[in-house]
Amino acid sequence: MSPEAPSLLEVRGLVREFDLPGRGLFGPRRFLTAVSDVSFAIRRGEILGLVGESGSGKTTIGRMVMRLLDPTRGEVFFDGLDLTSLKGRKLRQQRRRFQMVFQDPYASLNPRMSVGEIVGEPLLIHDLVNSPSERRERVVRLFDRVGLSSHDLDRYPREFSGGGRQRVGIARAIACSPDLLVADEPIASLDLSIGAQIINLFASLNQTERMSLLFISHDLSVVRYLSDRVVVLYRGWAIESGPTPEVLTAPAHPYTRLLVGQDPGIPAELLNGESETPGLCPFLSRCPDALPVCREAAPDRFGNAGGGREVVCHLAASQDSWMPSSSSPSIQGIA
Amino acid sequence: MLQGEGLSLLEVCHLTVSLRTREGEIRPVSDVSFTIGKGEVVGLVGESGSGKSLTGLSLLALFPPGAKVLSGHILFEGMDLLAQEDSVLRKIRGQRISMIFQEPQSALNPVLTVGTQMRELFKSHTDLSASRVRECVADRLRSAGLPDPERVSRSYPHQLSGGMRQRVMIAMAIALDPHLVIADEPTTALDPTVALQILNLLSSIRESRTKGLLFISHDLSHVRRISDRVLVMYAGRIVEESPSRRFFGTGPLHPYSRALLASRPEGTGRTRKDAPLPAIPGQVPPLWNLPAGCAFAPRCGRADERCRNESPPWQSEGEAGALCFYPDMTPLGAPFHVA
Repeated sequence: MSPEAPSLLEVRGLVREFDLPGRGLFGPRRFLTAVSDVSFAIRRGEILGLVGESGSGKTTIGRMVMRLLDPTRGEVFFDGLDLTSLKGRKLRQQRRRFQMVFQDPYASLNPRMSVGEIVGEPLLIHDLVNSPSERRERVVRLFDRVGLSSHDLDRYPREFSGGGRQRVGIARAIACSPDLLVADEPIASLDLSIGAQIINLFASLNQTERMSLLFISHDLSVVRYLSDRVVVLYRGWAIESGPTPEVLTAPAHPYTRLLVGQDPGIPAELLNGESETPGLCPFLSRCPDALPVCREAAPDRFGNAGGGREVVCHLAASQDSWMPSSSSPSIQGIA
Repeated sequence: MLQGEGLSLLEVCHLTVSLRTREGEIRPVSDVSFTIGKGEVVGLVGESGSGKSLTGLSLLALFPPGAKVLSGHILFEGMDLLAQEDSVLRKIRGQRISMIFQEPQSALNPVLTVGTQMRELFKSHTDLSASRVRECVADRLRSAGLPDPERVSRSYPHQLSGGMRQRVMIAMAIALDPHLVIADEPTTALDPTVALQILNLLSSIRESRTKGLLFISHDLSHVRRISDRVLVMYAGRIVEESPSRRFFGTGPLHPYSRALLASRPEGTGRTRKDAPLPAIPGQVPPLWNLPAGCAFAPRCGRADERCRNESPPWQSEGEAGALCFYPDMTPLGAPFHVA
């Protein structure tokens, strides 16, 4: 992809807070910041990997991109349109252009509909076919595309294995030829020998249909194989991003180094209960390289000299290869 | 078995377990034989439904309803577990053989504190004084990597994180100094960095040189990190046994094991632009509808008529062996590295 290609999806300063229970009648609002000022873009035909552990906010970001969840602050631009302000019919018109593949192929398919009906439903909703026979024809082609047999059309989800159901989920997602697919851990619940088949299917949809993909996963080696660029999340912060091979072979953030080097570092669960200080780097308590300044101020965002990479870390300030990023505001004042 | 380790701790011989299901009688454990030596960590790899969890439970002589042992025996330190009375088995479970489950949140009692549950273990298996029990509980929690045992003891399971709960499970599993620990997918529900810490903790079990560990997992990179020897199960049978060094170095013998290794992008440096992943075609056959001959034959690139009609023999190659007519002896091109 050339860097000049226009962005299909652009996410700016996305924040999502969830209210916590326990607020008294006049008590202060208690909330959890699941996503803190996250910005990224996906170009046409590009695959972006979103990696992080559970609780890092990756699923919340996926749901906000899909407009299944409203952001607390921030904007989502899809092909130049501000999705966050779209409502009703205008939003529905756009919906067919971005579709989602869910993690759990058991829970995300209606058990009372045949798989043929499930895959054909989006065509009906978006009024893309004129007759039942045309719909059936399109569904048969979709089945063929994802590696299912047209003999399976009248079967029900329960009659399929996990891999088969995930193919049905993908066929439904691509039914309206979307420009963007959001896949949230699509192989995490699949059998070992089936995962590679589904990964190949995503690669081929990207290759032949030019579908852009937001691939959400905790599986670093799969992200390395599949994605052009990667965003590393830690407790809701996008701590590092850039072209996948560069970020994963020469990580700049201590957390990414931990992930990639598989050096266990300081046990995360031992820090349970030790709450992080709002406004400071979320990785501070686990960071082996923390500087005095890390305990005083939130880290700024730095870009690399060549462009394309970003890291949010004080360590970058003293390195020549990084310079303060001007493109977007720093992460300060999130809490 | 490791050379020079003397007696093996556990010997499973030709174990076959049947299970009644809606689809009819199936054999999730079929003619399974293996050993675990003292101080040895054995990794058991398989996909869901391959029979690896039931194999693990069998070692505690715990069977789900509808299950029946059709043949075989399990020798633990020379004693045939399947021939023992329930009262004897209850003493062995927890004390000499213990188990770590995948989901500590469902294996721990949610309404009792961690301390209560751990004291219970000592009370039912030993006659230590209350103060001595308290010391033991603190000691085990500390050796499971929990630096503040007092606080953890007072906590209920839901107040702990997933990694901490798994450490509590491990503390309970090693509490009575068992000789054999069975860990069923202990790292699956954990975040990657936490999983690695748990792996390090588990591999310390081997340091005692008297204990054995059966590590059941579907994650090859975890199995590689921890195991001395690898067993691979497919459709209820052990299809390969190999020292880890050989399995991940020269390469496995069974085409299924090879295909599993190859289907993961780890360490190859390849991306989608180079080539598609070498996926295994088709899917695992259901146990109630196994093909004649080798169960992997319909998905196997090396299979011929013979594989589709006859049951494959066990063929050995040094310390390794595979249930296959045509084991693959060619060394792997590039060594398998964990990304």
